[in-house]
Amino acid sequence: MPMQPKKSLTVRIMQDKIYRLLQQGKRLDGRRPDEVRPVRIETGLVEKADGSALVSMGGTKILVGIKAEVGTPYPDRPKEGSFTVNAELLPLASTTFEPGPPDERGIELARVVDRSLREGGALDLEKLCIIPGEKVYILFIDIYVLDYDGNYYDPSLLAAVAALATAKIPRYEVGEDGKVEKTEERFSLQLTAIPTTITIGIIKELLLVDPQIEEENVLDVSLVVGTDEKGNIVSIQKNSPGLIPIGLMDRITELAYEKTEELRRKLIESAGIPLP
Amino acid sequence: MEKPKLISEDGVRVDGRRLDELRPIKMEVGVLDKSDGSAYVEFGKTKVFAAVFGPREVHPKHLALPERAILNCRYHMTSFSVEDRKPLGMTRREVELSKVIREALESIVFLEEFPRTSIDIYVEVIQADGGTRTTGLTAASLALADAGIPMADMIAAVAVGKVEGHLVLDVCDIEDKYGEADLPVAMAPRLNSIVLLQLNGRLSREEFQKAMALAREGISKIYQMQREALKRKYSSVEEG
Amino acid sequence: MPLYFSEREVVIPGQLLSDNGKHGGEGTYVIGGKVYAAQVGIAVRKNNKVSVIAFKGVYKPQPGDRVIGIVTDVKPNGYEVMLSRHLSGNMRIPDRREVKSFNLKVGDVIYAKIKESGLRGVMLDPSDRVKKIEEGILVSIHPAKVSRLIGRRGSMINMIKRLTGCEIIMGRNGMIIVKGPNPKSEFAAISAIKMVESEAHTQGLTERVENMIKNIMEGER
Repeated sequence: MPMQPKKSLTVRIMQDKIYRLLQQGKRLDGRRPDEVRPVRIETGLVEKADGSALVSMGGTKILVGIKAEVGTPYPDRPKEGSFTVNAELLPLASTTFEPGPPDERGIELARVVDRSLREGGALDLEKLCIIPGEKVYILFIDIYVLDYDGNYYDPSLLAAVAALATAKIPRYEVGEDGKVEKTEERFSLQLTAIPTTITIGIIKELLLVDPQIEEENVLDVSLVVGTDEKGNIVSIQKNSPGLIPIGLMDRITELAYEKTEELRRKLIESAGIPLP
Repeated sequence: MEKPKLISEDGVRVDGRRLDELRPIKMEVGVLDKSDGSAYVEFGKTKVFAAVFGPREVHPKHLALPERAILNCRYHMTSFSVEDRKPLGMTRREVELSKVIREALESIVFLEEFPRTSIDIYVEVIQADGGTRTTGLTAASLALADAGIPMADMIAAVAVGKVEGHLVLDVCDIEDKYGEADLPVAMAPRLNSIVLLQLNGRLSREEFQKAMALAREGISKIYQMQREALKRKYSSVEEG
Repeated sequence: MPLYFSEREVVIPGQLLSDNGKHGGEGTYVIGGKVYAAQVGIAVRKNNKVSVIAFKGVYKPQPGDRVIGIVTDVKPNGYEVMLSRHLSGNMRIPDRREVKSFNLKVGDVIYAKIKESGLRGVMLDPSDRVKKIEEGILVSIHPAKVSRLIGRRGSMINMIKRLTGCEIIMGRNGMIIVKGPNPKSEFAAISAIKMVESEAHTQGLTERVENMIKNIMEGER
C-alpha cells in the first residue's frame, strides 16, 4: 500500500483569514479570486531534449523535456505511435518533497497531464507511425517541478504542450536493408488540439483559481478541470480530500471554461504555437 | 560512429575554443525561492541548478550527530539531459558523484557550528555536455554561500581532458567521449587545497602535472566569476 | 590594524579581512593568525573587531527572544511548537492539570518567549505572557532580516504600521502577524514586509517602502 506523503499543517487563523478575504473578493497576494498568477513560458532551453519548456506560474516553476525513441506499437493500435508522461517533484522545489521514486502526488500529476493530452487529442498518434505494426515513435514527456509555490498541475500541462508544440523530432526512415535508421532531418509535431487545465479551490461556498501554497494548505477541497478549444471538457481530477457541494458544479464548470480559455490564449501567444 | 577530428592543426577545438579556454560561463545566485539558498550555473551547454536546505532538524532523530551537522548531497540528472534518455531514478554513476561532491563540500563547511542538524544539497543537471560534476560543485558552493552557511572558502571546479594528445581545459561531452583522459578537479582556492580529484583515462606523470596547472588556471577564473555573481546578487537592487 | 576590505564591502567566504587574528568577530574565522570571512555579507569594523553582517543565516534562538510559532502537537505535559520550517520548540507545563487552561489546538498560532535553547532543544516559557493569536495573517520572512524590518529604534516597522494602519506582531524567528482594518492595508503591509526582506541590504530602502505603500493605499484595488 502506498504511503501517504506528510500532510502540511493547516494554520487556523490563515484558514479564517483567507475565507474572509474571499468573501470580499480579495486574496492574500492581491489577486481577485478568479485571477491566475503571471505566466512565463520559455521554450527550447534544453538543446539535448527534442523539445523543452520552462514555465513559471507565479512562484511555481516547471521544466518539461521531451525525448523521442523508436519502439514497437501496441498490438491493438498497430498504426499509432505513443507517449508516456512522468513527473518528479524534485526535493529542491520544496521541503515537502522527498528524494526517491515518485510518490503518489508525482504519479497523480503525471497521469492528469497524460489524460489531458490524450483525451484532449493534442497529438495525432497515427502521424507517429514509421512501419505499421512494427516501428513507431514513442515520446517521453518528463515533468520536473523545480520550485513549488502551489498548483503544479496547470503549469505542468502548459509546459508539456509548449514543449510538444516547439519540439523538433529526429526523423527515422526505413533504409534499403529494411532497418529503421535515424536521419539528420527533424520534424515538428503538428498539434491537433491545445488542452489546458485550471485548478479550482473551494472554501465553503466560495471558489478561487490557481491557489498558491498558503491557500492550498487551507482549502476545503480542490479539483483540476481541463478543456480543449472546441468546448469539450477533457479531464477532471478531484485532487484532494473533502466535499464538493453539488450545487457548486455549474459555477465550477463556467469558471473552468473561462480560465482554461484564458490560459490557452496566453500559451498560444507566448510560446508562438500555431493554432490547430 | 567514427571518431571525428577534435583538434585542428593550429590547435582549435571542435567548438572553436583554444586548448586552454573555458566555455562561456553563466552564474546566477538565488534563483529558486523555496530553498534557503540556490544557484544556476551554465558551462556552455552544461546547465545545472543547485539548492540548499538547512541547517534543519534531522528526521528521524537518531541519525543526528551530537557534535556536528550531517551534510547530505544528491546529484541527479533529468531524463532528457543526455543524448539517450536516462531512465528515472538514481544510477550508480549518480550515487558515486553525489558522494564525491558531498565530500568536497564537507571539507569547507563549518559543520561543527550546527550540531544535531542536517544540511541538504540538491544538484539537478538539466543538460549534460561534459563537466557536470564540476559545474554542479561550482553551483553547490554558490548555493551554500547564498544560504548563509559558514564556510572556510568557496569551491571552484573544472575538468581537464587529454584529447588527441593535447591537454585541454573544460572538456565538453564529445571531447570526453573520444578523448584519452578526463580529470575533474575541484579546489578551495583560498585554502590552496584540492577537494575533489578523479581521473578517468591515462596520463603520464608529466601530463598530470601540466593538467593540474591548467586546471588551476581555469579554477582561478571560475572563482573570480563566483565572487562576482555573489556580489552582483547583493548589489543588484541598489543599482536599479 | 591593516585591513583588506573597504568599508561596507560585500565579502565572500574565504576572503582575507585582517592580518591580526585577535580581531576576528561574528561571521569570520581565524586561521594562521589571519581573519577571513565565513559568510557572504557586509564587512564592518566595530569595537576593534572585524565582522561580517551576513545577508542570510540561521536563526539561533536566544533565551528571552519573543517568537511566534504554530502548535504542531498537544501532549499531556505541554505543546510542541513549530518556529520555522527547520526548527521546533517545546513548551513544557510543569503542572499537567494546567495544560488544558492554555486551550491550544494543533494549528493555533502563539506568541511566546524562549526560556532556553541548548542540548534539550528549544524550550518556550509557559509562565511569561503566552498569547494565543486569534486572528491575522501569518507572514514568514528570513530571521536574519528581522532587525532590518524593525529598523533603527523601530523606524521601519513603525512607518509601515503608521502608513498602513495595521497592527504588526513580530517574532524574532521571522514569523510575523499582520492585522489591519481592511484587505488593502493588509496587502500594503505584507508587500512592504516582503520588500524589506528582499532588499534589506540596499540604500534608500525606507523611501522605496514608503512609496510602495502609498501607491497601494491610493490604488483602486
